[in-house]
Formats: sequence, structure tokens, C-alpha cells
Amino acid sequence: MVDFLRDFIHILRSSDLRISTSESIDAMNIVSEIGLEDKSLLKHSLSFSLAKTLREKEIFSECFDNFFEENYMNLKEGKLPQKIKEKNTEINDLDKLGDIKNNLEELYKNSDKTSLMTAMALAARGANLQDIKLFTQVGMFTRKIFDEMGLEKLNNDIFQASREGNIKREEELKNIRENLRLEIRDYVENQVKLRTSYSGKQLREDALSQMRLTQADKSDYKIMSGIIRKMARRLISVHSRRKRKSQRGLLDIRSTIRKNQEYDGILFETIWKKTRVDRPKIVALCDVSGSVANVSRFFLMFLHSLTEIIPNVRTFAFSNKAGEVTDLFESKDIEVAAAETLLLHGGGSTDYGQAFVDLEGLLENNIDRKTTVIILGDARSNYGDPRCDVLKTIQEKSKRILFLNPEPISVWGSGDSEMQRFIPYCSKSKVCNSLNNLENFVDDMIRSSI
Amino acid sequence: MSNNKTSSNGSAKDSIENIQSNFEKQGYICNTHIATAIFLSQSLGKPILVEGPPGVGKTELAKATAEWMEKPLIRLQCYEGLDEAKALYEWKYGKQLLYTQVLKDKLNQIVSKSDSLESSIDNLNNFDDIFFSEKFLEPRPLLKAIESENGSVLLIDEIDKSDDEFEAFLLEILSDYQVSIPEIGTVKGKIKPIVFLTSNNTREIGDALKRRCLHLYIPFPDPFLEEKIISSRVPEIDKNLKVQLVNFVQGLRNLDLKKLPSVSETIDWARSLVLLNVKTLEPSLVRETLNILLKFQTDIDVSDPEIENLIEKSKK
Repeated sequence: MVDFLRDFIHILRSSDLRISTSESIDAMNIVSEIGLEDKSLLKHSLSFSLAKTLREKEIFSECFDNFFEENYMNLKEGKLPQKIKEKNTEINDLDKLGDIKNNLEELYKNSDKTSLMTAMALAARGANLQDIKLFTQVGMFTRKIFDEMGLEKLNNDIFQASREGNIKREEELKNIRENLRLEIRDYVENQVKLRTSYSGKQLREDALSQMRLTQADKSDYKIMSGIIRKMARRLISVHSRRKRKSQRGLLDIRSTIRKNQEYDGILFETIWKKTRVDRPKIVALCDVSGSVANVSRFFLMFLHSLTEIIPNVRTFAFSNKAGEVTDLFESKDIEVAAAETLLLHGGGSTDYGQAFVDLEGLLENNIDRKTTVIILGDARSNYGDPRCDVLKTIQEKSKRILFLNPEPISVWGSGDSEMQRFIPYCSKSKVCNSLNNLENFVDDMIRSSI
Repeated sequence: MSNNKTSSNGSAKDSIENIQSNFEKQGYICNTHIATAIFLSQSLGKPILVEGPPGVGKTELAKATAEWMEKPLIRLQCYEGLDEAKALYEWKYGKQLLYTQVLKDKLNQIVSKSDSLESSIDNLNNFDDIFFSEKFLEPRPLLKAIESENGSVLLIDEIDKSDDEFEAFLLEILSDYQVSIPEIGTVKGKIKPIVFLTSNNTREIGDALKRRCLHLYIPFPDPFLEEKIISSRVPEIDKNLKVQLVNFVQGLRNLDLKKLPSVSETIDWARSLVLLNVKTLEPSLVRETLNILLKFQTDIDVSDPEIENLIEKSKK
């Protein structure tokens, strides 16, 4: 029973559920209370301790069905209670494995599928199948398990048969070998599916969050917006706490005295003034022309996933004319909104000067000393007038300007890039071309504006 | 061994069924899922964290458990700014002050008896202990639950509304069922209380707290269960109307609404339909009473064009 639960928890963990030791102990206790007879009872009992959000419950349910479909037969046939009785499980397993090794042929010929499965499970443990990480390892593990089950003896038998010229027996044994290999391969492939679906995803996500956004492929968008959601959740949980702390202000003497009148004027309870948190205002201006469209897309999605901690975001998109897209993001799903933004405003030839003029016109007086202006783009203005004078007025009215450029610093200012002329008006200018960069930047920005 | 196992399983199943039927007697209809959670929390001595949309009976579950076990229900409603003084214990400052005022003369006597400063401080020190004794301690819900003689059911309602700090503070109490009061010492209960925490998921509950609890998610009930709940709560309802009403509400939950109608709202609606002497659902009537089910004007607007359709379906 311990083994089964351990395997099951291992599988759950590799499917992105965080299960602590204390929770697995709980699960053990639950199993000993409930027993294994009733599958559905067992399922929802285990879910109380092993899956603690709605999403986790869904994953749990899927894993449970997959896992017990395969192993439940073994559980039921009393293999487990026996094991508990015999304390020396290890030795017992090894003995059995020895038996299998010597009698692989008979095992295949005589016994039913269940005992073959049991034998395979036993050999799999010997071959450390639980360590399998990638799909490409299937062949290797198949071979390892086959070895554990006694491939050597089978090969020897085949060799001997061919030396003796017993072709019929040789054929028969070869058939057995092939069939067994297929069975084992199926088994390993199943296990891989069960165990690696998550770790493979994890690898992919890691790679994607470091990848240059300009290279992102359409097929990756879905995973990437998942990553953005995760990052946003992380930032929200970190920053919502900070905000609450910084809200407490000085001692409010008047209310403290009033409150403590009931204690004869002795100051037992303290009342604190609340400092007004300056709600940071953020204005983002994003270049959505071909070259930087992808970066803008993800940046916009990111900003609008953070409404819980930065409620006052206004976003503008431009290629040659700037337009506000805030409403789009507020009324629609962020992925849809991002796609529509690119459709509406992308495609023109970039003109930074015009964009700054438009931005200033659209904002009018809605820009003040609390406003952070973020500009995202490659600063390539097609040799048009960059209108640094307008940028300067924006800088004077606002708290600060932050510039994000997806191009590496070495090419800033080369060709039609006006980056070097923009830098003097920006409090910070940064390279930003991967999701990780984006996260770090947004984290920084919130830290300095709350 | 295996025989033993079967019998213990049998008894586990029996206890779960027992819990279910007992709840039913009190008018709390639940599925085996919920009953199993109650059974396990009792046998493992673990708190239960109950989550689910508002109005599916999370608080009712605690009440039903208290009634079934014949133990007092102690309820702690969480809100932003809830702290130890309001949740655990507080000194009765006023009473302490009053007593020192009233006993001024007595204190003078005692102090005047002693001849040196040192001995008078010693004397006063003894009083200190008197003033910080259980006489002057005002127990709040958590302490009450731990101290109660015959055990109790503690309901910590809407834990998601409290601050992170309070959640951290709960950890000691939930894992050891004890409280340390600096002036008195550690208070440990004789009988572990049965603890329910409820959450509407307005914010994510910390992992540390979740780890210490069994987690029960109560979704909206299926039509069958909802019908049972209605007939238990509103027994006078016409059988035909009941089926229609439940189907209608279930259909309403499939629409894209801001706040889905909950079980308690279904019950309210059933009661009002009974009062209005309704035998079967009619569009005009549903429109007039829809505000019992839906609490946002936008939701009412969204569902308005669907009403005929839903009624049609619910009658099948």
C-alpha cells in the first residue's frame, strides 16, 4: 500500500501538484481509514488531502483515473495486504524477480496478463523507471526492464536452440522475445505519458520564457499567455502584501485619546493614521509595427493582467498614428484584445514623432506627477522627425519616462534608430526581449511606484 | 488482516452513511462526498477548509455538524483588520482599572504596612498576578473553542477576508490546538474542537494553512440533489413546480452571469412561489420574481431574453 501511494504521489507531483510530506502522511491515514475497496470513495477521500484547489482537483481526478485504471486490479487482488503482512518487502520483491528471471518463458506462456503486468511493474522498479524524464528514453528503459526480467537467459536459450539446429524452438522463442519487447515498450510508453507530461511542459516553458520574443511562433502563443498569467499571479501576491504594509501611517493622537476615554484616559489602544497610497498611474505607449509587434503584444497582456495591483493603466498603440486600446482590454479577454490591437493599429510604417504628438493630444491634462510613462519600441522612426521636443514636454509633465527596447544596446542609434536621442529624456532605458525580461521590468516598476 | 480491513471499511462506510442520514434529519441534504469529509476530519482530527461559490451551504455545514454532535457552535467571522485581541483573548482593561480604583484604599493599606520600598514592590508584585489572572481575561471565539469542556465546533467564516498576518497566526492553533498567553501560560484544550474554515476565494489562501487542512470543495448541487434540498426546506411545494423550478435555476447557471443563483436563493424563490400560490412557471411571473434569484441588474438583463426558452426546457 505504501508503495502504491508513493508511486501515485510521485505521479501527482510530476503533474504540477505540490504535495508536502505532511499531506502524504494524511493520505496514508485516509487510506487506512477508508480502505481500498470502494474506488470512488477512495478517490474523493484522497482528494481532500492531495488536491487543494479546483484546478488541482481536476488534475488529481485525471491522474487518479489513469493510475488506478492500470493498478487497481493489482490492488484488489490482495497483493497489497499481503505485502503489509510480510515486513521484508524488499527481499520478497527480489526473490520474486529472481523467479521471473529464471522462468520468463513459462511466465509468458502460462500466465494471464495481470501477473505479467505485476512482473513488469516489479522489474520497472528495479530499473528505476520512476526516473524517466523524456520520451526519447523509452528505448533505453524498455531494454533495462527487459534485462531485469531475464532477457539474457532468453537470448541464451535462443542461441542454444539455433546451435542445436532446432529451428522451430528458435522461432518460437524469438516470437516470445518480440512480443514481450512490445508489451514492455507499451508499458514504458504509458508510464512516460503518465509521468512526463508535466516535466516536458516545464522544460518548454522555461525555454519560452527565455526566448527572444521577436522569434516567438504563433503556435507558442497559448503557452506563453499561460506563462504571463503565472508571472502576473506571482507579482500580484508579492506586491499586494507590500502595499498593505506601507499603508499604516503615523500615530493618530486625537482618535487615540478619544478611543481610550473608556480606560480613564490611559492610552491602551493606539489608532494609526492611514497614509494615502498614491495610486500609480501608468501610461504605456507601444509600437505595434511588424518588428516589435510580438513584444508589444505580450507586454500589453502582462500589464492588463495586473489590474489588481496597478488599477490605473492606460494603454496606447501606434505604428504611424497612436490610438487608445485601454477599453479593448477592459471589455475583452486579454488574448483577443491583444490580437485586435495588432490588427487595428499595426501595419503602418513607424513614426515616433507622430506617435508622441498623438499621445500628448490624447492625454491632454490627464498626465501629472504621479504618472509613469512607458514607451515600448525599437525607436526606428524611418528617418522621420522624432519630435524630441514633444517627448520633453511629456517628460516635464510626468513623473518619469521608461523606455523598453527589444533591440540589443549595441545597435541603439544605428541606422534609423533614434534611441540615442530619446535616452536623455528617459529615467531608464532597458533592453527587453524575453518574457523573463518583461517580468523583471514590471516587478521593478511596481516596486518603485507603489 | 484482509478480513479486518474489510470490517473496518464497512464501519467507515456505515459511519459516512450515518452522518449523511443524520444531516438529512436536520434538513441539511448532502452527498457522500461531503459526509466523507466530515467523517475523515473527525477521525484524523484535522480542520476542514471548505471552499465553493457563495450560497452553497458552507456555513450551514458547520451548523449541521454542531447540531448533530450536540456541541456548541462557536463562530468567528473574519474581516480585514481582525486581530488577536478580537479573535483570541483580551484583558478586561476597564475592569482592571475599576478594581484598582475601588481597591485604592486597600492597596494603600498594604503598601503602608511595609516599611521599605523593596517590600512594598514585592507586595504589589503579588497583585500584579491577581490582575492578570483568568478573572480579567475576556476569552474570544478561538480561546473559547479550545477551552470548552465538552468540545465544540469552531467555525472560522470567510477566512479569505482576513489579512495574511491573521492566517499565519491561525497556524499554531490549528496544528496544536493550543494557545500561549504570556501572563498565564499555555492553554491547551481537553478535547480537540472540530474546526471548519470557509472561503469564497476572494484571495488565494496560503499554502501553509492549506497543508494543515483537509480541503473540501462544494460546487453547485446537481438537479437531483437540489430537488431533495428544496423538498426538505420547502416541504409544502408542489412536486411539479419543484422539478420545473430546479431545472430553471440549473439552466440559469449555464448563462454568462456575474453572480450565479445559489442554493439559498433557490430556496427563497421556492418559498415565495409557494406564498404566491403558483402551480406552474409562467414567463410574466418569472420576470416579476427574478430579482429574488439574480442580484445584479445586468444579470437580469442578460437572462431576460432567455426566460421563455428556459421555461420551455424546464417543463420537459
